[in-house]
Amino acid sequence: MVKTSFKLTPIFAMAEMELRRLRHDPLEIVTRAIQPILWVAVFGTVMARVRAFPSVGDYVTFIAPGVVLQSSTFIALAYGIMLVFERESGILKKLLSTPIPRSYIVLGRSLAGAIRASTQYVIVLASAAAVGARITNNPINLVLGYLILTYSCMGFTSLSILIASALKTRERFMGIIGAITMPLFFASNALYPLEVMPPAIQALSLINPLTYTVSALRTLLVVNTFNILNDFLAITAFVVVSIAAAMKTLNRIIE
Amino acid sequence: MNKAVEVKNVVKVYGGVVRALNGVDLDVDEGSVYALLGPNGAGKTTLIRVMTTQLRPNEGYVKVFGYDVVNQASKVRELIGYVPQEVSLWSDLTGYENLLIYAKIYGIPKDVRKRVVEEVLDFMGLKEAANRLVRTYSGGMIRRLEIASAVMVKPKLMVLDEPTIGLDPSARKSVWERIISCKKEFGVTVFFATHYMDEADKYADRISLMSSGKIITSGTPEELKALAGGDKVLLKVSNVSETLSTLSKLNYVVVSKVNNGEVEFIVNRSAEALPKVLKELMSNGVEVDEIKIHEASLDEVFIKLTGRSALQEVGRIKEVISARRMIRRGG
Repeated sequence: MVKTSFKLTPIFAMAEMELRRLRHDPLEIVTRAIQPILWVAVFGTVMARVRAFPSVGDYVTFIAPGVVLQSSTFIALAYGIMLVFERESGILKKLLSTPIPRSYIVLGRSLAGAIRASTQYVIVLASAAAVGARITNNPINLVLGYLILTYSCMGFTSLSILIASALKTRERFMGIIGAITMPLFFASNALYPLEVMPPAIQALSLINPLTYTVSALRTLLVVNTFNILNDFLAITAFVVVSIAAAMKTLNRIIE
Repeated sequence: MNKAVEVKNVVKVYGGVVRALNGVDLDVDEGSVYALLGPNGAGKTTLIRVMTTQLRPNEGYVKVFGYDVVNQASKVRELIGYVPQEVSLWSDLTGYENLLIYAKIYGIPKDVRKRVVEEVLDFMGLKEAANRLVRTYSGGMIRRLEIASAVMVKPKLMVLDEPTIGLDPSARKSVWERIISCKKEFGVTVFFATHYMDEADKYADRISLMSSGKIITSGTPEELKALAGGDKVLLKVSNVSETLSTLSKLNYVVVSKVNNGEVEFIVNRSAEALPKVLKELMSNGVEVDEIKIHEASLDEVFIKLTGRSALQEVGRIKEVISARRMIRRGG
């Protein structure tokens, strides 16, 4: 027997696997970035001229964090399809027979999915800045913003793993993901401030983890302060609950 | 001899209706090569998945080197190297990267990781292809890389589910050469499922025949083939009556047919028995002009015991085709 030493290496190995995959085939990052770039560059600049929401200041600046989230959560929520594929191939069977705890598979893969999703941060913010969004240039805020986004995306990836474990086929999985992505985006503060929403949608947006992540990014990148503790706690609750639920259902994926 | 695997009265029911395993018993000796032979749908993969701690049995138990696969699952996982029937590699990474990631997942320490990966790639004949994406590999190379990922961790037990499914004969041979050399090099116990009779016959020390979730019989390849009633030998001879009187004195031979200068008899292990028979015949002045041997096959045993061939791909042909396609595509 080779001496085995268990630390967190297996979790980071899965994230490394994702980065190596991205290096071999970066096309997805580019194609996924087209839609958000249109959101900020076209939708954002047009809406800015209408001045529909005077309370938010410059509209392109306002929606930039929201569009980052829209793009990232879509990638994170779609990541579960990977597990559906790996369920059909032998990879999951093999992973389940390795000595790592099964919770590591969820932690490792949600980190992997979050890292893939977080690539949108750089692309979307850069394009928003290019069309005039006033994003902070404070490196500490920028790095914190990236970490918060990745952290929150771990929750969305776990949610996706949970759905993949429950639904098991790619058709059903893609159907559900298509059905929840846009409502999640619209029932949040990504495109408009909470106070203009009808009360029902407002209530929905308050239980939507996207709202708190957008709010945290807005505080860090636009308002340029560190006043994100409440958002961070809300995101943490979401991440912990989805990871725990995904760990609980992972065993069902292979039955 | 120590038992590498002990399977006792294992029952596995899927979704409350499908009885995939219906009371399976078997023992695998440490250091041996053990084949589980049967048609698709017999329950081979389910047994392997129970053995590798992926599924819990509904009844009975499985122990791997004395550790229970349910209660001591993590201990069992440290002892096994497993190659599932379907491709277990990331096809959009290189061969080297796949092994590197698995080495980290298995916790191979940092200071030896790179060397272990390079050595096993070399051992499996994949050094040249190490930096190519796995999706460019042939089916045989993919299987060798998967076996590499299983032996890399120096397991005490290798569990291989249909290791050569969908491969052409030369790739099958090269995969088996590597498996056998792993066994020789590391003394690892090998347990494999197959529906190829010839592989079980050639490489296994012991075979269990499986059908409809049960082990029908177990034994060495020779013992099992003896169950088919032995090999048939047909001799064209110069003197039939002298031949018959000579054969009647040999207690290990049963004459089954006499016809126009030809005598057919049944004998176990014809390769060893026939020289003795011929010597007796020649010393009694019988000339043998022609010999035809029909060796008993494991399939005949299978048909005799179950009434159907192990080669029949019962109802699941679609899955096999898609598994093959997947192997060709590399995931």
